[in-house]
Amino acid sequence: MPLPRWALALADYNGRSGSTDAALASVISLSHLDERALVAEAQTGSRAAFEELVRRFDRDVLRLALNLMKRPEDARDVYQEAFLKVYRNLHRFRFECSFYTWLYRIVTNVCLDHLRRRQARPEDQAPELSSGLHEEGITDFFERQREQRPTLDPERTFIGKEIKARIAIAMERLSPRERIVFEMKHYQGLKLRAIGDALGTTEETVKNSLFRATRKLRHELGGLR
Amino acid sequence: MSAFEKSVNCEDVAPLLVFYACNEVSDRERKQIDAHAANCQACAAQLAEESHLQEAMVAAPQPADELDSSGILLSQCRSELAEALDDLSAPPIQEHWRPFGWLRRWMALRPAWSGALLVLFGIVLGTQVLPWLQNGKSGNANGQAMNVTAKPPLSKDQLDNMEIAGINFSPSSDAGSPNVQLKLSAEQPMVLTGSVDDSDMRHVLTYVVENGQRFDAGVRLDCLEALKAASRDQQVRQALIAAARKDQNPAVRMKALESLREASADDDVRQALLDALQHDANPGVRVEAVNVLVGSLQHRESEETAPEAADATPVVKLSSPEEDPSVERVVRALQQLQHRDPSRYVRLRSAAALRQIGPREVQ
Repeated sequence: MPLPRWALALADYNGRSGSTDAALASVISLSHLDERALVAEAQTGSRAAFEELVRRFDRDVLRLALNLMKRPEDARDVYQEAFLKVYRNLHRFRFECSFYTWLYRIVTNVCLDHLRRRQARPEDQAPELSSGLHEEGITDFFERQREQRPTLDPERTFIGKEIKARIAIAMERLSPRERIVFEMKHYQGLKLRAIGDALGTTEETVKNSLFRATRKLRHELGGLR
Repeated sequence: MSAFEKSVNCEDVAPLLVFYACNEVSDRERKQIDAHAANCQACAAQLAEESHLQEAMVAAPQPADELDSSGILLSQCRSELAEALDDLSAPPIQEHWRPFGWLRRWMALRPAWSGALLVLFGIVLGTQVLPWLQNGKSGNANGQAMNVTAKPPLSKDQLDNMEIAGINFSPSSDAGSPNVQLKLSAEQPMVLTGSVDDSDMRHVLTYVVENGQRFDAGVRLDCLEALKAASRDQQVRQALIAAARKDQNPAVRMKALESLREASADDDVRQALLDALQHDANPGVRVEAVNVLVGSLQHRESEETAPEAADATPVVKLSSPEEDPSVERVVRALQQLQHRDPSRYVRLRSAAALRQIGPREVQ
């Protein structure tokens, strides 16, 4: 399978070799490196290694940012700010935890900053994706979802529609930290210990946050079956 | 069922159900909860509800599904990040060569702090730095003189190291001692201004006269002129006498004798005049001594007569030898000078002085 042109250009930019073959070999070798070796390579200043790291993790990062910020432009800001912080501070990473945990610590801090700033500006609240079940926009959204995912079970779609709307409202009741913990646990699938590492706190504290978040959600979503 | 598992009750289990549903309990806790739920319908129902709620939330569409279903946003993010990394990787030549770039970035991000700091900087610059710089300029960096208003007492070291850069006279407003301005070049250049009656001024002038070898003749003459008004002071008089006897320059010795005119009735002064009359090598000095002595022998009533007019004046009335025994010595010295002085002018001047004094029987 031919490599895309950007990959060749990336390897060439890194200055490892002047030939296309060498660039190709460089990109292929990077894609086979494990996380630790890739980070170590990026710490030496390899732009290609850093780009490879970004591609391994940025999908999850953007998803977390979108779920938390609920606005594409905010999520894009979080994405850029977080990865630029990683780039600038990568030389400080000492492998005392996994790179994934370290990355999430940065991302969650950036998200928390943005959420707190947004809370301080009531006029800058994120738009409700599902502020009501009977709004025109919501209907349009689920119509589009149905078209995009034709294999989806219609009954499940309907349940999802109801739950999504109520969850969106309920999630607004959570504090930024509770929202991040809930998001990382249920949508990112992280263990509580890893969440604690990412947030720079103890597993017990994360447990408390998750318990409070779930209790609030259950209260808001009472009767949901 | 173990005894421990039997002891678990609903209150123990309830807080764990949230974590049981999301698989965050230990194996031991899971066994306890399973065992308890098997015998407790309420907890089993709550557990089922918890699990159902979490499943429903996980299954529900998330904002990310809607906002970036096509992955376009991810591509945009990657592209923007690549551009930002290009900017970071490019050698920031302008930033390196731009002075205080970090300060301008800091100020741009903190306008309020920057404004306050600028105001503070201006205040410090205006109240502290500029006066300090002006003081530094007016110091001894350029060798310019500094006005000393507080008149610190001059130490001997200062006097030993000083040079007279200039001396000026100006008549005083009250017709007393003239005002003198002395410019001193010492470790710290300074200007002394005042009348001869000021102790510092008199101290410096006396020092110059006493240490004539260190100063040029012009300065010494100026100092003698200034000290003339204070010749009745004991310290000044001794300095003038020393200059009249020892100064190497005859003009200075003449000036010293002239400056002693006001104190010529004093024994020490008269003895110095006689010494100059008999032993000074310079005829001009001897003539000056004759003039001053003649003036000193005049009666108090005739003291106002100018010495220059002595030649033209008729015979003056002398004090009797009983009243002033030094008069006899003066007359005898003049008589000797009249006959023995190598200078014809001095002999003539001595004879004229004797005529001016009047015929007298010398014992």
